[in-house]
Amino acid sequence: MNPLHMLGKAISSPWLVGGLCVAAAAGASFVDQGTVQMWCFLIVNIMLAQSINVLTGIAGQISLGHAGFLAIGSYASAILLKDYGLPFPLAIAASALISAAVGYVLAIPSGRVREFYLAMMSLAFGLIVYELVREWRGMTGGVMGMRGIPSPGLGTLELFGWRISPEWYFRIMLISLIGLMLMLRNFVKSHFGRAFYAIHVSEIAAGSLGISQGGTKRFAYALSGGIAGLAAGFYAFMVGYITPESFTLMRSVEILVMAVVGGLGSLVGQVLGASLFTYLPQQLQAFSDYQYIVYGLILVFSFTLLPRGLAGLLGTHTRYSKHDQLCGQVPDLDTVLSQRSGGGQALVEVRDVVMNFSGLRALDGVSLTVRRGTVTGLVGPNGSGKSTLVNVISGIYTPTAGGVRFKDEEIAGWPAHRVARAGVTRTFQDPRNVPSFSVRENILMGAHRLYAHGAFAASVNSAAARREEGRFLARTAALMEAAGLSAYADDPVGDLPYGIQRLVEVARALASDPELLLLDEPAAGLSDTEAERLMALVRMARDHGVGVMLIDHHMDFLEELVDEVVAFDAGQEIYRGDMAGMRDDPTVIEAYLGKEETSHA
Amino acid sequence: MVFFLQMVFAGLSVGAVYALIALGLNLTFWTTRVLNFGQGSVLMIGAMLTAVLIAYGVNLLLAVLIALVAAGLVLVVTEMVAIRPLLKASGSMGWVVSTLGVGVFLQGLASLVFGTQAVAFPDVLFSSSATLQIFGAWVSVQYIAVFVISVVIVGLMELFLRRSTWGYGVRAVAHDRELASLMGIPVRKVVLLSFVVSGVLAGVAGILTSQISGTVDPGFGLHLLILAFVAAVVGGMGSAVGALIAGLGLGVLEKLIAGYYSPAAAQTVAFVLLVVVLAVRPQGLLGKKETVKV
Repeated sequence: MNPLHMLGKAISSPWLVGGLCVAAAAGASFVDQGTVQMWCFLIVNIMLAQSINVLTGIAGQISLGHAGFLAIGSYASAILLKDYGLPFPLAIAASALISAAVGYVLAIPSGRVREFYLAMMSLAFGLIVYELVREWRGMTGGVMGMRGIPSPGLGTLELFGWRISPEWYFRIMLISLIGLMLMLRNFVKSHFGRAFYAIHVSEIAAGSLGISQGGTKRFAYALSGGIAGLAAGFYAFMVGYITPESFTLMRSVEILVMAVVGGLGSLVGQVLGASLFTYLPQQLQAFSDYQYIVYGLILVFSFTLLPRGLAGLLGTHTRYSKHDQLCGQVPDLDTVLSQRSGGGQALVEVRDVVMNFSGLRALDGVSLTVRRGTVTGLVGPNGSGKSTLVNVISGIYTPTAGGVRFKDEEIAGWPAHRVARAGVTRTFQDPRNVPSFSVRENILMGAHRLYAHGAFAASVNSAAARREEGRFLARTAALMEAAGLSAYADDPVGDLPYGIQRLVEVARALASDPELLLLDEPAAGLSDTEAERLMALVRMARDHGVGVMLIDHHMDFLEELVDEVVAFDAGQEIYRGDMAGMRDDPTVIEAYLGKEETSHA
Repeated sequence: MVFFLQMVFAGLSVGAVYALIALGLNLTFWTTRVLNFGQGSVLMIGAMLTAVLIAYGVNLLLAVLIALVAAGLVLVVTEMVAIRPLLKASGSMGWVVSTLGVGVFLQGLASLVFGTQAVAFPDVLFSSSATLQIFGAWVSVQYIAVFVISVVIVGLMELFLRRSTWGYGVRAVAHDRELASLMGIPVRKVVLLSFVVSGVLAGVAGILTSQISGTVDPGFGLHLLILAFVAAVVGGMGSAVGALIAGLGLGVLEKLIAGYYSPAAAQTVAFVLLVVVLAVRPQGLLGKKETVKV
């Protein structure tokens, strides 16, 4: 084993971390005040790095203005305590809430614009907060800063008559940090963590599973802002004196550097990154002279040279399911899919759908119905509009004209995640899994729309959260069994052969317990055994009353499965009926093979 | 009224510079869907080199030329070091961080070499005391010169993009990079060209802004980058005319609010404008909606 990886294992061991924390908490009484202050600084930096990690490492959004959150939180908690007499834990909590609200507002345009717009907005945000705290003298003290904030260092911070000493302040911070990190660990392993990561890696696939791009990004910004606000609250009382100069762009860059060097995506990595950049500037005078140059170079090269940071070097991995936590607690399976009644009833009705792309008419008046418990095949040459139809039904495109009725609702024009939540799940022509997720995590992600427990329950692993995650883990295991994927359960999907990736995507779609399943060329590139397994999965869905729409070019494969087949050419239906009839239909033959020369007869 | 007019003229002048920077951002956005988050430091390099070289007695035109070449070079190096290696992983936003890194590095380098203090910027265009009276308001000739130069450059760029072979190349790459490559367009060269021109535009903008403000320091440029980004977004990313109109409008708005209220309020208004436009009309005033490819 790589010695670095052994070191990584050692430092992420709960015994070592727990031991260190206890030692630090006890030791705080025996070291000088400067050291305790330094430890407090470290905790603030770890919290800030975690805040970036949630946003950038997990959700893939970038903040270049985190000092803005730090400033808002610091001034808010200081003012709330100084001028309004709020007890300090409440002031800190309020500071976290205010920063979270600001993060949410900042992310309002997300989901509609390219991500780097938000990054630029965050840069602007950091700059403007800095300008505002300088100018808003009445509130913040302007460039002179705000003095006289009750602080444990000065012996002026009290809570209901208890004067808090620096050691106790450190202990309170340490306990808060441990609580925060435990909650973050559980959060990342929950369906929220998977959703964050999914919008990072593939927004379109995330949408097809009911994960809202905009909503998830706003949540990520709010959570990140909230954590930064928590750090800010502790910071303000710790230093007792804040000036705008603590919240410059350079501070934002410093926080970013800690997170990037520590290792984006890793909770442990953030502790390492924050420790390095809390102590290094203290130890090396040269470091502070060349700070800009060093930070600049780190930001330029770290992504190419050390993409996963120190955490990557130490071989730590972040897992996105509670499989490890719930080991042995996974319950017996109730059902893989719900048994749905009403076989033969119309499930989705497409009426006269027209889809234009700047002059190109991809669908030209298409109507069809898929019924519960039946499989409808779509065939036609490439470019005939089959995938476009799937994209229209699943909400990726809004049709130019016509309607789509699913159950009792008109869904044409709904965003993809809303269509998915209503019970329509699809796969893609090229599989869109999360490559770094294991097979288990990918399939479990399919169940996203079915989760009922909230973010707090997920973070504290409440009984309801454990029960629900356990139930879906059991379902995932059963699906892996049915699809023949159990042997790969914990392998990253990106490393597996193409056929397996396809099966994973189909199993993921089934994990959502869909009512309508849209499969876009699922059999392409599958071996015979894999195709057999795929057929078994499709039959299982059909037998449970799921309506299936299946695009494929393999006629033998379709023959085995479909109840009805619809053939397309140039955006129009040219045939509808059974497979045998289609094989003999002259229009279909012409569309696929071209017109036979008959003139020389 | 005279004060109002003075603010409007000052606003038009800085607004034209915003449009110039926005055009530079647009160019690389068109060819690579990326823009340089360290562009502020490129403005600074252009202005700083000009000021320092002239102070050392270098001929004015030569100094400007050297500064602009340096600005263009910075962007080429940025593309090679901080953008291309990071675009290989699709969906990654690492380039945002790495281009900001280049900007921070340049700021650090400039502080080291030239010191952190503001450097006085010499009179490159006319004298700072020369004024003209327009509608009763005294307007600095430098303001007028900056406005005219910026608008002429934006116009020439538009002409270049619409009429020249390289302009066609840029537009083809913007439309569909792979298709352009299949059609025999040297995509790599077009991309590098767009970065060089983006850098030169930033260099010119840096010199023009410093001419108005009178000084330049290593931290200079970040505010301008952000205001130019607002102009680019409000005008519609990808629309040169939109950027010009939005730039001028933003400049006037900023100067009026700064003049009657405070500079920080002006920036806050610009920021709020950005948030509102992105939330209500993300494609900007004159931009086209981007379509999703599945």
